[in-house]
Amino acid sequence: MIPLFFSPFLELLLAFSLTMALVLAYFAIVQRDLVKAAVLSAGQSIAYAFAYYLLAAPDILFAYIPIAVGIYTVLLLYAISKTERFEEG
Amino acid sequence: MASTIVLFVLTLVSVALGATAFTPSLDLRPLAEFYLENCLNQFNKDLWAASPEAVTSMLWDYRGLDTVYETTVFFLAIIGSVAAFRFGEAFLRSYEESKRKQRREEGLSLIVKVITRLTFVLIVALSIAIALHGHLTPGGGFQAGSIFAVAPLLAIAAFSRRFVEEFGLTKNTCLAIRTTGLITIALIALIPLLSIALGFTGVFIIQNQPKPWALQPSFPGFPVYLGPIWLAGTLILFNVAEFLTVASGFTLLFILLSLPEDFFRRLMGK
Repeated sequence: MIPLFFSPFLELLLAFSLTMALVLAYFAIVQRDLVKAAVLSAGQSIAYAFAYYLLAAPDILFAYIPIAVGIYTVLLLYAISKTERFEEG
Repeated sequence: MASTIVLFVLTLVSVALGATAFTPSLDLRPLAEFYLENCLNQFNKDLWAASPEAVTSMLWDYRGLDTVYETTVFFLAIIGSVAAFRFGEAFLRSYEESKRKQRREEGLSLIVKVITRLTFVLIVALSIAIALHGHLTPGGGFQAGSIFAVAPLLAIAAFSRRFVEEFGLTKNTCLAIRTTGLITIALIALIPLLSIALGFTGVFIIQNQPKPWALQPSFPGFPVYLGPIWLAGTLILFNVAEFLTVASGFTLLFILLSLPEDFFRRLMGK
């Protein structure tokens, strides 16, 4: 018997956001253009931040969003600007 | 092609698992129950941390040593990066270099500059609010410091680094603010020990409230309320000090990283 009130929205959203994180991480790894790869990894961080919100962890959220989307992405872009933009091979 | 199929199958499997609403267990562990029952327990003040926010009271009171070690690790990371960019006259030279050239358009366009002015103020105000309310709402010192660090980053990108330096945001300013924050954290952690001189014997480091089961007389504890305002003993002081430390540490990192490339080339060439 299915329970009368069956609402798996939280778990579905969690599954969706973490799968999006996996897909974006995969595309960030195989991407040749390093600037696009940095932006894709920022997208993966946004999907993770959504997952942290769904798991009711606001403290981690406040620390994760500026560090992963702001600081880490800018650090990567600084490093890319001092070396080459396109990966070889 | 194979990777696309693998990703598609993974998506289907995870969404199907999500649709079953599988949750491991809704019971709390005994440790979580202990923290939730005791962090703001007005009837049994033996083990309370005087704050409605369980996460911050765990960070700075129940597991305060862990946060002290984490601040030490962050401090060492910033020391390492300052040592990597250890040229003493760095800011002076990059400032004078641009003055000698003709003043051309620097920074991004006017639209970006106007919007950066607005968002800079919003980001700074939000981070200070999160730091000051760390003992009442989610947030705290480290979170507020990381949020603050995005603002000078935007300013360096939209205006130029030289412009930001003219406003006094130099390496030495950031180092001074960071040292102030770290000394404040060390002082607040050690003040209970200093009270041994006044005759209190039940004292511990990073102690927030008096412990009635320790040797009497115990350390009387930091003030919990100031009229209607709820300070939470050491929590608000630690949050503000950690905010200063982390914000200035991250800002220092960006000031050093955004030194122009040809400045280093010229330095290495000599």
